Amino acid sequence: MTAAVPARHEWSAFGRYRHSLWLLTSRDLKVRYSTSFLGYFWSILDPLVMATIYWFVFTQVFNRGVGHDPYILFLLTGLLPWMWFTGAVSDTTRAFLKESKLIRSTKIPRTIWVLRLVLSKGIEFLASIPVIAVFAIFTGATLHWEVVYSLLAILLQTMLIAGIGFIVAPLVVFFRDLERAVKLTLRFMFYASPIIYSLQDLGDLETLGAFNPLSGIFSLYRASFFPQDLDWFAVVISAAISVVLLAIGILVFRRNERAVLKGI
Amino acid sequence: MATNSPVAPATSPSSVNNPVIRVTNAGIRFRRNRRQRRSFKDLFSSRVRRSRPGEFWALRNVSFSVAPGEAIGVVGRNGQGKSTLLKLVAEVMLADEGTIAVNAGVAPLIEITGGFVDDLSVRDNVYLTAGLHGMKRAEIDARFEEIIDFAEIGDFLDTPYKHLSSGMRVRIAFAVISRLEEPILLVDEVLAVGDKGFREKCYRRIEELLAGGRTMFFVSHNERDLRRFCTRGLYLDKGELVLDAPIDEVIDRYNADYNS
Repeated sequence: MTAAVPARHEWSAFGRYRHSLWLLTSRDLKVRYSTSFLGYFWSILDPLVMATIYWFVFTQVFNRGVGHDPYILFLLTGLLPWMWFTGAVSDTTRAFLKESKLIRSTKIPRTIWVLRLVLSKGIEFLASIPVIAVFAIFTGATLHWEVVYSLLAILLQTMLIAGIGFIVAPLVVFFRDLERAVKLTLRFMFYASPIIYSLQDLGDLETLGAFNPLSGIFSLYRASFFPQDLDWFAVVISAAISVVLLAIGILVFRRNERAVLKGI
Repeated sequence: MATNSPVAPATSPSSVNNPVIRVTNAGIRFRRNRRQRRSFKDLFSSRVRRSRPGEFWALRNVSFSVAPGEAIGVVGRNGQGKSTLLKLVAEVMLADEGTIAVNAGVAPLIEITGGFVDDLSVRDNVYLTAGLHGMKRAEIDARFEEIIDFAEIGDFLDTPYKHLSSGMRVRIAFAVISRLEEPILLVDEVLAVGDKGFREKCYRRIEELLAGGRTMFFVSHNERDLRRFCTRGLYLDKGELVLDAPIDEVIDRYNADYNS
């Protein structure tokens, strides 16, 4: 009766990891887009509405003294990567709790539970890039060769979010309060990061601002249209902090893995 | 390391010396209070072997090995570590002491509906769950119809999982996991649910799998089921392996201890 069934595929450890990671990532995206009518557009609409509000407040109500022209493009090049960061980090607070039943019944490498969130939010970010293209054409902005630095920015941001996720996800299982603390910190980080302004606008605080790992990353993205925004000092600090956080994250994750499995 | 090598028949001479599962001095401890309080020092310290206050060993000094094709019943009262042992073998929990070596793929019938997503259709869920257990798309395609037939759920393929009755949910979940073709099967009282007809169907499937040379771990309170499927029994009491013997002997001892 089972004679016609082909033999099971032999997996390499890496192949199996990638297979599981992709299944869960595409599941996340599928659930998000199949349950709402507007689907994909929600992930664009959110930063678009925010960008419109800030554009209105800072160019129509106040006289804008920060950022660069065209300001709407300046806002979007900061807001879209920010949405990736904030979406992924706030989702990692529930990485284990939300999937506890699946984690208790399926043996897959546990890091996948965090990385799938980094990946699914990252894919949403990539899918939102056409919005920037549309506004760039619309405002007549020039694309500089510095656009290649966006690849470095994506790499650094992936490392940064993964590192933070590896620290936050297990800790929330033990300290539930951390979930709200993270949300609050993210709200603070929005204004503390060069999104509606650029790092140079901070004046005396510029050096301090460079120690925010997002400053260097955002300056890399923005260099595509605003090369004057590129700040290598901030980039080096971003890279260093991202690497250190990832190393700490892997350590914290490993040390707490067995306790997490008991705690969920 | 789990590999999906084909199942060796139970009678092959090599199987005697090559246990498919080898548990050596395994121990796992939990905190007595529900909240897992941890100090910041704990976060960076590697696992400490001494027991801290407020902790108890759910299992300790458990050692046994299982040859391919054996069907093992785990016996014991509630809270004596039966399900924990199953989770250690499934590797969804990690031991604090000792080692657990599982040398073949595992199909765990533990919290089987856990992997199913409410908002996705039955079809998507089948591909997701089987995929997470290591099946490729083509492999699932080849078994899909059989899975759906077994679950008797053909009319609901594109219904979101959340709209299924609880009986249907268990049926489809059992159908998927029991079709994983893994050499080891773990069963944790999942069959207590579902109607009598389907339960009997599940039992026949399990017998079929056993006849095909699968190794099975079976946790149950039902004496008849244990005697029906299992040849060997493990009797757990107060977190320790008290007796490892043929199933009839183990059940008699259990009855002598608690039912007299």
